[in-house]
Amino acid sequence: MAFLIQGRIFGLICLLFIMAAVAYYIKQAQAGKVPKVRRIPGIDAIDESIGRAVEMGRPVFCSHGIANLRDATTGPQTIAGLSVLNYVAKRCVAVGARIVVPVRQPEVWPIASDIVETEYKLAGKGEEFDPDSVQFLSSEQFGFSSNYMGLMMREKPGANIMVGAYWAESLQLAETGSRIGAMQITGTAQTSQIPFFLVTSDYCLIGEEIYSAGAYLTNDASLIASLAGQDVGRIIAVVLSFLGAITFTMGSRILLDLFAM
Amino acid sequence: MTIIATLLQVLPYYFDIPPLKDAAGTASNAVLLIVACATFVGVISILQVHGKRVQRRVEGWYFSVLVFVFVIIMVLTGLPLAEFGLGRNNSIFNWVFTNIQTPLGGTMYSILAFFITSAAVRAFKARNIEAAIVLVSGTLMVLGNAPLFTSPIPVLVDISLWIRNVPNMATMRGVMIGAALGAIALAVRTLMGIERGYLRGGGEE
Repeated sequence: MAFLIQGRIFGLICLLFIMAAVAYYIKQAQAGKVPKVRRIPGIDAIDESIGRAVEMGRPVFCSHGIANLRDATTGPQTIAGLSVLNYVAKRCVAVGARIVVPVRQPEVWPIASDIVETEYKLAGKGEEFDPDSVQFLSSEQFGFSSNYMGLMMREKPGANIMVGAYWAESLQLAETGSRIGAMQITGTAQTSQIPFFLVTSDYCLIGEEIYSAGAYLTNDASLIASLAGQDVGRIIAVVLSFLGAITFTMGSRILLDLFAM
Repeated sequence: MTIIATLLQVLPYYFDIPPLKDAAGTASNAVLLIVACATFVGVISILQVHGKRVQRRVEGWYFSVLVFVFVIIMVLTGLPLAEFGLGRNNSIFNWVFTNIQTPLGGTMYSILAFFITSAAVRAFKARNIEAAIVLVSGTLMVLGNAPLFTSPIPVLVDISLWIRNVPNMATMRGVMIGAALGAIALAVRTLMGIERGYLRGGGEE
């Protein structure tokens, strides 16, 4: 076992445990035992917001964040945002709403464009796809933000859906959307930006809720079952926190030594 | 392919296997090269969108002309050809960056203060218990960071520090742990190939 890196063994054990739990619940789901998922109002409201935009004759804005796909902490948020974009694009194509997708990262632009174009083609409306609806705005944070704000002021979307990794521009974008009267559904795992989204948007997905959006929207049994596996990891974290607090208060470093294994 | 690529990055983190580590490093460098090439995709997208706006003379088309002008200036002057006086040390490149881009970025950052104020005016209304708690704690945090109030009432500093270090930190840590677990579950689903929402035609019913 000399090739195991010191200090990461316990993390590997926890990861394998969580992976095993996810695999177990997926197998259970494939056998017909699908766990129940609690309602997430923000995700349920996506259809409502798209319908509202159609009734008002306004476009739907859907952004997947400003991060790339490579970073360990923000990459998953971008993937979650793209999963939401997939669903939003499908619904917009079905109801005839115009969708606009502002993009900050050039490496994500082809993926976002492909997602939207594919939904048009799957619905048999390939000729209706407008390549300019997926716009690369700027790689600069505030160049993107100012461009997005200008787009919203001019286009006045009926719905503004922003799920992904955001930083300081989150408040600017959400506040602008609020001022023009768009129905806003936001979500991020960036803890510093969650308060801004909470006060400016109609519905806010907090932290891990954005990762379950893809499973929730597709209603796929395997994906929903994986959320139960995620809960096993949460239980492990709570138990370890509780034990750690007790043992450390009693003067024992047993858990700290275990984590450093 | 997804599984292989994911394992190639995950395994070297836990196992000290030099050939695997080298392979992961090579893959990471390849990704960086692909991303660098993707930069041109973004420029092409900008030129396409703004080119159509100029061609159709839509409202505000002259701003698109400005975009063209500055894209061309910065691309040409920023080319890594030091022997021709181009690149990061080019005077025009530096002037535009220092006197246009940097002040504009600073301006956008600074207007956040006004956005925070307008958002706070809307949010800090004591409609229910939770909103009242937000209002009171927010007010205490603001007062605890203003010397005008902390000088005559020093206890405000202790109160604001307690709010930040105890209830706020506990909540934030809980959200961070939950988000990290969610990211792990997403990564496991991607590793197993069942998370396809971001792929072509993925997530179909």
